Amino acid sequence: MRYTQEEFLRQINENKGIIHKVTKMYMDNVLDQEDLFQEIVMQLWKAYPSFKGTSKFSTWMYRVALNTAIVFFKKDNRKVDKTSLNEQIDIADTSESTDKEEKLAYLYKAVQELNQIEKALIFLFLENQSHKEIAQNLGITEINARVKLNRTKEKLHQIIKNNGYEF
Amino acid sequence: MNFEQLKDQWNENGTSSNEISEKMLKVREAHTPIDNIRKKMKNEFFVQLLSLIIMIFAPKVFGFSQQLSAIYFLFYAIACGFTAYYFFKFYTFYTHSYDLSLDSRKNLLWFYYEMKLNVELYKALTYIIGFIALAFSTTALVLLRGDILTKLLTKISMTYVVLNAFVAILIIGIITELWARFYYGKYLKQIKTIVDGMDEE
Repeated sequence: MRYTQEEFLRQINENKGIIHKVTKMYMDNVLDQEDLFQEIVMQLWKAYPSFKGTSKFSTWMYRVALNTAIVFFKKDNRKVDKTSLNEQIDIADTSESTDKEEKLAYLYKAVQELNQIEKALIFLFLENQSHKEIAQNLGITEINARVKLNRTKEKLHQIIKNNGYEF
Repeated sequence: MNFEQLKDQWNENGTSSNEISEKMLKVREAHTPIDNIRKKMKNEFFVQLLSLIIMIFAPKVFGFSQQLSAIYFLFYAIACGFTAYYFFKFYTFYTHSYDLSLDSRKNLLWFYYEMKLNVELYKALTYIIGFIALAFSTTALVLLRGDILTKLLTKISMTYVVLNAFVAILIIGIITELWARFYYGKYLKQIKTIVDGMDEE
């Protein structure tokens, strides 16, 4: 085999933040996030022989991680958490770092109301990908990616606003 | 809402302390919809295999005559032949590997059509087995109660017989469709919804 297990583990550990962000984006409870994390690592390892090295490891990882998350459905017996954002996020602390974490917590909670593709669009946007890169990753046209991203941003803004938060 | 500011905060928050170990690569059970369908089909394969083995003893258990036993085994052999053909198809599906490094649309379409094809194969096998069972039951009825059947056929109209056959086929169809929808349809529907969400409006 061209690539060793050690090499794979080294590269995946360098980029594991991507997997953590994807799991938090797609699953709202810790158990589902752990399941999805495990699934992504497994699918990455399975697909590793097909990684030709023509693109960056992280670019390839985005695709596999997102594709796994898109078709990963949470276990039926786990209930979806429907409580409001304010009930879940403690907003008493107002220090700067907590403020940032709080914003991200609101964001993660709000994206749970988006569909699988909208989540992918927002994720790739937040990961600094251009419209062209987003389109290539999702297999849609650049115009479609631009239109869908703008609509998703608007939808997300509205969800956060409806939940009594603004940033 | 300032998305650019949010983007900066998002990118500052990218580290994670949990190390991915060798142990995590050893897990072999995947949970994509394809894997879930494969797992269910594998379970059904064992149930059907067991049913076929049990069915060998039916002539002895029910005390079939020599003539009826011969007809039974003819239908049994046809059923086994079809089942073996479809099991080979399902095995190919089961062992067909996939990786998720294509773009999302191609990947989703591969999942959708691969699942749809196999659910259709599954339905075709169920229809065939249903018709074989129906054909054998009719033959057995003619052999065992031929006299009563002849009398009955002279009393009732042909339209009634055709209507009965139609209802029997309809029942097989409804059961097959409902079972496939209940057992496998959920995954197909979920993937189709995602694919539709990618289309241009």
